[in-house]
Amino acid sequence: MLNKNHPLQSKSEVILRNIVVTAMIIYFIVFLIIPIGTAFVGSFHEWNPLSGTFRLLGLDNYRKIFTDNLFWKSLSNTIVFSFVVIIFRVGFGLAIALAIYSKMIKHKSFFRMLYYMPVVTPMVAVAYVWKFMYHPQIGTMNQIFGLNVNWLMNSKMALPAIMLMTIWKDFGYAVVMFMAGLYSLPKDAMEAADVDGASPWQKFRYITIPLLKPMILFVVITSIIAYIQAYVQVLILTEGGPGTSTFLSSYIIFDEAFVKYNFGFASAMSFIMFVVTAVLTWLSFRVTRSKG
Amino acid sequence: MRKKVNSFLLRIILLILGLIVVYPFIWMLSSSFKNNSEINALKQTLLPKVFTLNNYLNMNEHFDFVRFFINSILVAVTVTIIVAYTSTICGYVLCKYKFKGRKLLFGFILATMMIPWCVIIIPKYSMMKVFGWMDSYKAIIIPAMFSGFGIFMMKQNSENIPDEIIEAAKIDGANALQIFHRIIFPMSRNGIASISIFQFLWTWDDFLWPYLVIQSKDKQLLSVGLRMFNGQYATDYGALFAATAISIIPVLVIYMIFQKQFIAGIAASAVKG
Repeated sequence: MLNKNHPLQSKSEVILRNIVVTAMIIYFIVFLIIPIGTAFVGSFHEWNPLSGTFRLLGLDNYRKIFTDNLFWKSLSNTIVFSFVVIIFRVGFGLAIALAIYSKMIKHKSFFRMLYYMPVVTPMVAVAYVWKFMYHPQIGTMNQIFGLNVNWLMNSKMALPAIMLMTIWKDFGYAVVMFMAGLYSLPKDAMEAADVDGASPWQKFRYITIPLLKPMILFVVITSIIAYIQAYVQVLILTEGGPGTSTFLSSYIIFDEAFVKYNFGFASAMSFIMFVVTAVLTWLSFRVTRSKG
Repeated sequence: MRKKVNSFLLRIILLILGLIVVYPFIWMLSSSFKNNSEINALKQTLLPKVFTLNNYLNMNEHFDFVRFFINSILVAVTVTIIVAYTSTICGYVLCKYKFKGRKLLFGFILATMMIPWCVIIIPKYSMMKVFGWMDSYKAIIIPAMFSGFGIFMMKQNSENIPDEIIEAAKIDGANALQIFHRIIFPMSRNGIASISIFQFLWTWDDFLWPYLVIQSKDKQLLSVGLRMFNGQYATDYGALFAATAISIIPVLVIYMIFQKQFIAGIAASAVKG
C-alpha cells in the first residue's frame, strides 16, 4: 500500500507521502485502535488500576449494566437531554438563520458573530457563569424574573436548567451552519419559484427545506455525538444531583471510571454508548433519507 | 410600509435575542468588578456601584492563577501549532497524492470523529501510566498531535488548490517538501486559521484530560484550576467571577479578532463535507 509508485509522483513526493501516511497510521493505531481494543477487552474484566486487578469476568459487566438502575436512569436522562436540546438548537438555529438571511436584515455578520460567541467560549468557565446565574440568592435568574427557585437543587428544575444553558451555548453553531447552507443554495431555484408566483411559505417548504436537508442532517448528527458525550455541564453545575436527576451517560462513566475506579464496568458502559451513538447516527440518516 | 414594520420588528427580536446571548458575559464581567457585599446584596444592579479591582488583585493570593494562565497558553499554543501543521500536511497528502487505501484511510479518519471520548479515555489513561508520562505535558501534547477533524478540514481545504500550480512547481524543480512549505502552506491560510482557532479553543477548554494526567498544582491548567478554586473558595464570589472572567476573556478576544476566518472556515468545510 505504501510503496506503490504512481507515475505522476516524483521520488520526493513518494518519500513525503510514505512518511506522512506511516506517521498517521502509527498515531491512529497507538492512540485509537489499541485503546479501543483495550477498552473492549477490558469490558469483559474486573479491572481496577488502584488494586491492580485484571480478572476475567466474561459478560458479567454487561449483565450488571442491564440491571443497573442508575445506568438506565442516566440513559433516559441523556436521551431526553439530547432530544430537547437538539430540537431547540435546530429549530432556533434555522429560524434565526432564515431571519438573518432575509433581505430585511442588515449587519448580517454582526448578528452571526453575536450568536456564535457562546459557542467559542470554554465550557468550564461558562458553566460557572451559569451556576452563579442559577444561584438562588445572588443569581440573575431569580433576580430578573422575580422568582424564588433553587434551580440546581430542585430535582425537577435541574435537568431543564442544564438544558437551557446548553441551548444558550450551542444554538449559534446551528445558526452559522444553516446560514452557510442558505448561502450555498442555488439562486435560480428561488428565482424560478418567484416567477411561478410561489408564496414565501411554499418556497420555504418546497425549496429551502429540501435543499437544506443535508445541512440539517449534519447538524443533527454532530449534535447527537456531542450530547451523548456531554458531561462538563453536569460536573460543574450539579455533579449529577440532586439525587440522580441529572446523571447523564457520560457523567456516570466518568464517575465509575475516575471516582470509583471500576475501569472494566465503565468500559462496558462506554461501549454501549458507542453502539447507541452509532445506531442513532444511522437512524438520523435513515429518517432524513426516507422523507425525501 | 408593512415591510418596513416587519423589518423593524425582526431587527428588534434579533437584538433582544442577542442581548440574551451576551447578558451572562456582561453580568459576569461587571460582577467581577463589584465587591462581595454588593454581589451578595438583595437588590442588585447590573453595573457596579463601587468599581473595584480587588477581586483581580486578591485572586492570586489564594491561587496562582497567573501560573495556570501561562501553563494553559503554553500548552494550547504548542498543541495548536503541531495540529495545524500535521492537519495541513496530512490533508494535503490525502487530497493530492494517489495511493491504494487512500479512501479507506480517509474513511477511517472520518469514523474516528464519531468515537465518544469515554471509550478511549480509560485505556489512554492507563497507557500514560505505562509510558511514564503522568504529570507531564507529554501526556497532553503527544496524544493530541493528530486531529481527525483537522485532517478532514484540511483535506477539504486542499481541494481548492489547483493541480496545475503543483505541476508547475514540479517543472521548476521544486521537491515535495518545498512545494508543501512554499506553496501549499501559504495557500491554505484560511483553513489553517480556522483549524488553529478551533484547536486552541478545544485545548484551552479541555477539562477532563488535564484533570486526570496532571497532578502537581504548579503544572495545572486553567480549566482545572478554576474548578479547584471553586471547590475551595466557594463563597468568595468576587474572586470567582474574576477567575472565570480571566479564563473567558482571552478566548473572546481571539474570537473577535479572527471571527471572519473562523466562521468562513467552519461553514465551508461543512458545506463541502
